Amino acid sequence: MADKIKLFVNGVEVEVEAGKNLIDAVGAVGIEIPHLCYHPALGADGNCRMCLVGIEDGRPPLVPACKTPAQEGMKVLLDAEHIKKIQHDVMEFELINHPTDCPVCDQAGECKLQDYYMSYDHAKSRMNVPQVVKGKKMDFGAGVVHDQERCVVCGRCVRFCRQITKTGELGIINRTDDARVNIFPGRPLANRYAINVVDLCPVGAMTSKDFRFKQRVWFLKKAPGICHGCSKGCNITIDHNREKYKDDIIYRFRPRLNEQVNGYFMCDEGRLSYKKENEGRLTEARLGTKVRPIDDVLAACSKEMEQAAKIAILLSPNCSLEQMVTVQALAEKIGAALSGYSEGYIKTGDGDDYLIQDDKSANRAGLNLLGIDSSKEGFEKAVQEASLLLNFNNDLTLSYQENELTKLLKDTKIVAVAAAANQCTAMADMAIPVASFSEYAGTLINCDNILQHFAKAITKNEDLADICTIAARLGSPLQNDNERYSVLQKCISALKEFGVDQIPAEGLNLKKSEAANVTA
Amino acid sequence: MEVKILSANFDTKDAHKIKVAKKHGAYSTLDKLFSMKPEDVTDLVKNSGLRGRGGAGFPAGVKWSFLPKNTGKPVYLTVNSDESEPATFKDRYILVKDPHMMIEGIIICSYAIGCHDAYIYIRGEYTTQVKALQAAIDEAYAAGYLGAKVAGHDFKLDVTVHRGAGAYVCGEETALLESIEGKKGQPRSKPPFPAVAGLYGCPTIINNVQTIASLPFILKNGADAYKVHGTEKSPGTHLFGISGHVEKPGMYELPLGLPLLEVIDKMAGGVWKGRKLKGVIPGGSSTPVLLPEEAKTVTLDYESMAAHKTMFGSGGIVVLDETVDMVKLVKNLIDFYHHESCGQCTPCREGLGWMLKIVKKILASDGTIDDVNLLRELCDNIEMKTVCVLSAACTMPVRSYLDKFRHEFEAYVATNDSLAAEAK
Repeated sequence: MADKIKLFVNGVEVEVEAGKNLIDAVGAVGIEIPHLCYHPALGADGNCRMCLVGIEDGRPPLVPACKTPAQEGMKVLLDAEHIKKIQHDVMEFELINHPTDCPVCDQAGECKLQDYYMSYDHAKSRMNVPQVVKGKKMDFGAGVVHDQERCVVCGRCVRFCRQITKTGELGIINRTDDARVNIFPGRPLANRYAINVVDLCPVGAMTSKDFRFKQRVWFLKKAPGICHGCSKGCNITIDHNREKYKDDIIYRFRPRLNEQVNGYFMCDEGRLSYKKENEGRLTEARLGTKVRPIDDVLAACSKEMEQAAKIAILLSPNCSLEQMVTVQALAEKIGAALSGYSEGYIKTGDGDDYLIQDDKSANRAGLNLLGIDSSKEGFEKAVQEASLLLNFNNDLTLSYQENELTKLLKDTKIVAVAAAANQCTAMADMAIPVASFSEYAGTLINCDNILQHFAKAITKNEDLADICTIAARLGSPLQNDNERYSVLQKCISALKEFGVDQIPAEGLNLKKSEAANVTA
Repeated sequence: MEVKILSANFDTKDAHKIKVAKKHGAYSTLDKLFSMKPEDVTDLVKNSGLRGRGGAGFPAGVKWSFLPKNTGKPVYLTVNSDESEPATFKDRYILVKDPHMMIEGIIICSYAIGCHDAYIYIRGEYTTQVKALQAAIDEAYAAGYLGAKVAGHDFKLDVTVHRGAGAYVCGEETALLESIEGKKGQPRSKPPFPAVAGLYGCPTIINNVQTIASLPFILKNGADAYKVHGTEKSPGTHLFGISGHVEKPGMYELPLGLPLLEVIDKMAGGVWKGRKLKGVIPGGSSTPVLLPEEAKTVTLDYESMAAHKTMFGSGGIVVLDETVDMVKLVKNLIDFYHHESCGQCTPCREGLGWMLKIVKKILASDGTIDDVNLLRELCDNIEMKTVCVLSAACTMPVRSYLDKFRHEFEAYVATNDSLAAEAK
């Protein structure tokens, strides 16, 4: 725990964390100091001048809060008339050359300038001379569209590309009110985190080509989630909406702050992986080539399982821990060989030293922790011995060429329990659709051994059962969530003191030793 | 009236060449310098009362003493030769006429503050000056006054000339540092001040050319000899550039504390063509204008200027005769500062452009009294809300013209009103 200090805001004593700047320190106790250029991940720049606050008995009496460390006994003036006037004046300067196109601006509803106008300014425009004309809808590459006229030149995007990705594609060119953010000619944004500048932009100057004009943000419901794009497990906000007569659709993923995992950002690939939740899904249960009610397919599957001499079960490394233990229990009960083989999920060399990992699966650490064999030999031996393969959402086409796969599985009946329709489900004898990760709750362990729990975010019109339910219906002894969680608590000692809804929001950092012990 | 300390050799033929300069005493203080302790040099400069000649007038020796000791980091000296303030033309004379005086000053300052790498940041447009300066530095290296052993003493000093690219704001000391570091010339937030974290994050002293060039005289003749000239709080001499509507514009070296009008009359020949005086800009375009009656009582020193609610500034005196259209002058003024705003801080970036458009509107007989009031209000709204004082360098003088010559702005508004009446 950081040290606490006491200071005064508008004469009222507040206790704040030491070692922070004024914006963060008093922001943490619910007192907002307006700011545009400061961002905790990018540090203080001090160019917007919105955060100027008074310091009583201070020298100098007026300081930018972003650059001023909170100090014991400091007397901060926020609601004094001269400070309110500064906020009002700076707002006026920000707005004189800002187009009043909020009704058609994609940022409306989540725009700092708009919010601050309502909170701190609310004045009529006194601008009766022509505005500065700058570039509109400029394609900056990587799916980022820039509007120079809306830009408040806070430089967050520029600092992001310099400090975080260290690629430096963006710069502020020109001086004075002709200053504008731009790319170098022919050198667009070319980093794998570029769309973060859209989130960072406090106004509508940076918009996402993928998202813009699809939804007004105030219609979006926001649900927390965990990205399943790689083993980092970046925390996300799932923005979704069910329009009238339509289904619950995800419109975007945005990074959600978790200092322990991803900080403020996420990669573009993960961000755009929301599309896989909406499209290309397996939606109908199938028996042979015929679409059948899911109950019929499950009954047929149970019958096959009774008749099969030997069964192999394959798990996806994206499955939650709950799903893994339920399927594991099923395998133990019916004496099936269980494998988590998923070599194809690992793209060696694709990761970087920031967020992106080589391993494109969300819970390989979970597989290892539960002692589920992931070797190729183990899987192939199991398949060759078995007459039936139950595949729980593992995309084998990532690990095998098509001809290899056909050869390997030529004598095996396949039941594909899958969220996405792909080659694997096409070649299966039975297909059972299941919920994808935005549609169920679960627990994951990321590449850094951090255990995170996520809740169900999306409820489809025709909600699909998740793998836990399917496995339970196929005979797994773990029939409900409580039973599953007690198994998890047995496997992971750190979970013993937490109920499932008590797992800390920032995740549980499992000791490396624990993971090692269980695997061994 | 003139006291020639800095300009002693300005009229000497080829004084910029080391041979001639040495004949006139250049580098003669170095043996004395190296016999002294560095802190004694600082004390000497403190005692002389020499104030920074860049405009702010901060005591030079005091500035040096702000350097933190034993940081393990190198200490840098940066000489500010970015002389860009409109109406200021003093440093250029030193750079061309007597550059060795400044180089000697650099050696003195470097020794006092423990600097082994000095930078001279010179205005990009100063092509003649940069050639003269570089030639002098080359001569000084060849003669052993710069390099591994300065004048044979165990003291290493390298001097690098860095040319600006034409931005006025790079005369602001922290923008200047950014520019030397190869970044966009934008002022830094202070604190930290350059004395603590300046060039490349190291302790740095930034002094104006004239400040540095004053050092050899002080070292040679002592603090008291320097204090003989000028006033108690503003000792020494200053290079004054007198321009505008006078008979004899030019650069004059004068002790501080002389009456402004007397200087204009006696040195610069008075207001030209027998016209009446309308106002005086006392120290470069960013200083508030003085009315003739104020000019009568003001003297050329920091204290008197402050008492008259203006500033001593850079010594660039501009005399305005009765024909000057103050609204047009204000337009030119805002035009310059708007163009030179680095674009970092919101009030300056957006506000100066707005002010320019308003004054243009007034000039086009298109303005109203509300526009005049708005212009005046914007001065208050912009000033001192920014990282550096560039915006204040615009709003302070503009406010003075609006307050002292408001009737001229109103006259333009009146033509608008009469035009409007005609249209009806």
